[in-house]
Amino acid sequence: MNSGKALRTVQYALAYLGALISLYPIFLMLVSSLKTNIQILKNPVALPTKLSFAAYEKLWKQIPFGSYLTNSILVSVLAVLLILLLGVFASYYIARYQFRWNGALYFFFLLGMMIPIKLGIVPLFMLMKNLGLLNNMGSLLSIYTAIGLPISILILTGFFRTLPRELEEAARIDGCADFGVIRHVLVPLMRPALGTVMIINFITVWNDFFFPLIFIQDDAKKTIPVGMMSLFGQYSADWSMLFAGLTLASLPMLILFILASRQFMDGMTAGAVK
Amino acid sequence: MKKSTGAIGWRKGAVHLFPLPALVVYVLFVVYPIAAAFGYSLFDWKGLVRGNFIGLGNFVSLFTREPFNHLFWNAFGHNLYYFAIEMVVQNGLAFLFAWLVYTKLKGSGFLKVAYFIPRLLSVIIVGFLWKLILNPNNGVLNVLLKKVGLASWAKPWLGDTHTALTSITLVNSWYGVGFTMLIFLAGLQAISGEVLEAAKIDGVRGFRLIRTMVLPMMIQSVIIVTVFTFIHAFEAFELIFAMEGSQGEPYNSTDTLAIFFYRIAFGGSSGGDSVAIGLGSALAVILFLIIASVSALFLYLTRNREVQH
Amino acid sequence: MKKWFSGIAATVLLTSGLLAGCSGKTDDKAGQGAGNAGTSAPAASKEAPKAEKVKLTIGSWRTEDVDAYAKIIQEFNKTNPNIEVEFKPTKNTEYNTQLNVALQSGSGPDIIHLRPYAAGAQLADAGYLEPLDSIKGLSSFPKETLLAATGSNGKVYGVPTVFSATEIFYNKKIFQKYNLQEPKTWDELMQICETLKKNKVTPFAFGSKEGWILSLTQGALGPAFYGGTDFMNKVVSGQTNFKSPEFISSIKMMKDLTPYFPDNFVGIGMDDMRNLFVTEQAAMMVMGDWEIAVMRKANPDLQMDVFPVPPKTAGGKATVTTWVDGSFAVNAKSPHKAEAMKFMDFLTTKEAGTVIVNNLLKPSTIAGIQAQDPLVAKISKYADTQSTPYMMVVYFAGGNPTTKGTLENTMQGMYQNMLTPEQVADKVQQSADTWFKPKK
Repeated sequence: MNSGKALRTVQYALAYLGALISLYPIFLMLVSSLKTNIQILKNPVALPTKLSFAAYEKLWKQIPFGSYLTNSILVSVLAVLLILLLGVFASYYIARYQFRWNGALYFFFLLGMMIPIKLGIVPLFMLMKNLGLLNNMGSLLSIYTAIGLPISILILTGFFRTLPRELEEAARIDGCADFGVIRHVLVPLMRPALGTVMIINFITVWNDFFFPLIFIQDDAKKTIPVGMMSLFGQYSADWSMLFAGLTLASLPMLILFILASRQFMDGMTAGAVK
Repeated sequence: MKKSTGAIGWRKGAVHLFPLPALVVYVLFVVYPIAAAFGYSLFDWKGLVRGNFIGLGNFVSLFTREPFNHLFWNAFGHNLYYFAIEMVVQNGLAFLFAWLVYTKLKGSGFLKVAYFIPRLLSVIIVGFLWKLILNPNNGVLNVLLKKVGLASWAKPWLGDTHTALTSITLVNSWYGVGFTMLIFLAGLQAISGEVLEAAKIDGVRGFRLIRTMVLPMMIQSVIIVTVFTFIHAFEAFELIFAMEGSQGEPYNSTDTLAIFFYRIAFGGSSGGDSVAIGLGSALAVILFLIIASVSALFLYLTRNREVQH
Repeated sequence: MKKWFSGIAATVLLTSGLLAGCSGKTDDKAGQGAGNAGTSAPAASKEAPKAEKVKLTIGSWRTEDVDAYAKIIQEFNKTNPNIEVEFKPTKNTEYNTQLNVALQSGSGPDIIHLRPYAAGAQLADAGYLEPLDSIKGLSSFPKETLLAATGSNGKVYGVPTVFSATEIFYNKKIFQKYNLQEPKTWDELMQICETLKKNKVTPFAFGSKEGWILSLTQGALGPAFYGGTDFMNKVVSGQTNFKSPEFISSIKMMKDLTPYFPDNFVGIGMDDMRNLFVTEQAAMMVMGDWEIAVMRKANPDLQMDVFPVPPKTAGGKATVTTWVDGSFAVNAKSPHKAEAMKFMDFLTTKEAGTVIVNNLLKPSTIAGIQAQDPLVAKISKYADTQSTPYMMVVYFAGGNPTTKGTLENTMQGMYQNMLTPEQVADKVQQSADTWFKPKK
């Protein structure tokens, strides 16, 4: 039994060392943002003796963080809703009907996961321009919805397939039409899968910087990651500002996660793998 | 049309509207742009102006002209390396962490959260953050190494051709380990406890238990993770871009196919470089073919598994 | 049951309506041409009844210069009150992508800050720029200066505004402390390095992590070894090439400086170089004038000065390396070309030149403009009297990858001990052979 105890100790050591390595850089980022530039350069490891909020004050004056935040929230929430709406209908169709083309349709959607969409950025830009979506949240919503669909359809279709068909049949007999079946019977059962789709896409959309960089020109319409990026050209010598910028850009997501970490963690997996 | 439970005529037709919005959005914003980019690859481009149709000319130059041929294989090798490191380090650790959480260590709820937190940051933020940490003079890593008496270990991590790509893949593992851990954990939790108990009673323990019982039962998760990792490794761009720019510096040691594409299609980051849209698009086509064929193969394997169940 | 069907219809409509709604709103913008005009278009049309204000946007990579351009635009508005100009820079590393993508799809800013030489000419050759034949002020510019914005058809497409000049910056306090003088020959410079090194001061703030620093430094120090403008003219006319001993010696010199570089210099980029210099850990830095403002901001107490690169032999001429940093061009698709041309006219005037020099702190392309800042004035004087062109930027920024890029890349390999100076020179010549035709 002694060896069992030793094994357990090793397991604990590994597990908590892993957690330390995961958290330390983020901790470092938070702490460094509260030090002055000189303190960081002199001793990057030390904790601040006195908290300095100077970097945040300067940041606040320099950048319209409020509007970045609003834009990020709007884009992420709307994109996720669109993905859910379109994804549920498409997946239900693929999983529940057996038309000849369903297999092909499913595969066609899945192909999207393998398309490195950035390679098509030039035609995409022209398309957005022709649709009049440039410098407009519409461009972001449409591209995020489109790239979010494949994985969402994968997850949702997998989930629909695991649900017993009898449930729907019973509902149908009770007089629900297809749409009614989806709403009254399936959606409540699907919460975990919907949660997964929601969270995966929310994180992706929230953190993307490439598309806003190309599609959005007005500072007032930028989202957080791309808005904060300009700081790095301007304050490359001021590490205190850099850490503060990184912290500010990450904080909304971190706070949201800490408030709802259980939902996040459950959501992340509940629907992903049956 | 084999099965449509008692639907009346108009409803049968209406059902086809279900996938339509998704299909329209997907075709318009994903399929069309990439197909158009494929078209570009068949033309000669003079800078930004489209010239004559040259068939596969761009593909031929990509594989025969110096330095493109050399750079292509160099970048391809780095993508493979990226994949290998992620499979071993990121996914290996992810499985270890998933197993540790699964065995219900004290504080496993906290551990799960801790492993996952890096995944919440934007990749571009992760890149900048680690660039500061890995800074050769003022970065925390080298300062810490010096403090604990390992000064000789302190290196210009991102500036040395021997360490640059490895550093980036390890940062990527730091970022991605939590997500993979969750997929593995879900796979583990789907295994019935009774089967494992029975195995334990039979004296199957430790690594043998994992190898002979656990892994085969969660092969689904393993395949999914492998496909994701493969796609991710061959699309590797943002993190490298944030940490090393678009030149694959130092001395092409962090060049990947996507970075190479970006550089030849958009002319690099420092300004002067010229643009080769045709060549860039040809590279895009090849990259797509690599990713699509390999992941399709993996997906095909998954399908087979499902049938076997 | 009908309700559900209309529900689907509503969903589809909602989705398409969302897209249609957005496009409807912006269609008029697209109609006006510049997609980049974005929100500005509706704003402008709103004000239209009052005064016929036109709004121009300038695209640029100089995020650092927002304040300076505000002053320049203010000067412009003194004579053109009805043209509103907005300076909208994008981060240096993203500018090319964003601009190229926008131009390819027929939009982009009205006024384009053009990268100098080959990259700018590429945009002109693609037909994205309006020729500036009508700008009279350009006739007083020397031909070499206009070369920075000349298309392959010989027409001029941009107004060059400032030069960049590289020289050696040094820390006056450190030099005084060790009793050092501005060197007159290369040997004196090496002695300075030795003295500094003995006293544990890093002689040069330098790093090889970012390739452009390598060609920049070689472009500044190299002329002393390969023989400056004369050698360059011979390369350009095909009388010699990069495999010549002169050029190889300039690469070898770069390698030989290694002992005077900071620890871990292969991992050091521009930000770290600047940090080393402004925190007085390093005594010298080979750098361009554009860093003056940045360094002053980083450490206002820093006492710095510059000297030109000393000649290899006594009696030779010390040099600074210069090139046009960028020029301003008019987007051929701009809906406000006439107004944009007025801005071009303005840029060629002495008034503009004076505001530009004193706010951007860079030598002007317009002759005879005196800078207020003593350091800028000193650099301007060197640039006027003892400059040599930055060969890689002016003549060898072509090819794919560019010859300049090849030099950067292979020198990086040299500092990783993977290539010898001779191999570097070989590869540079190989790259030039793929596209460069000597101009006889």
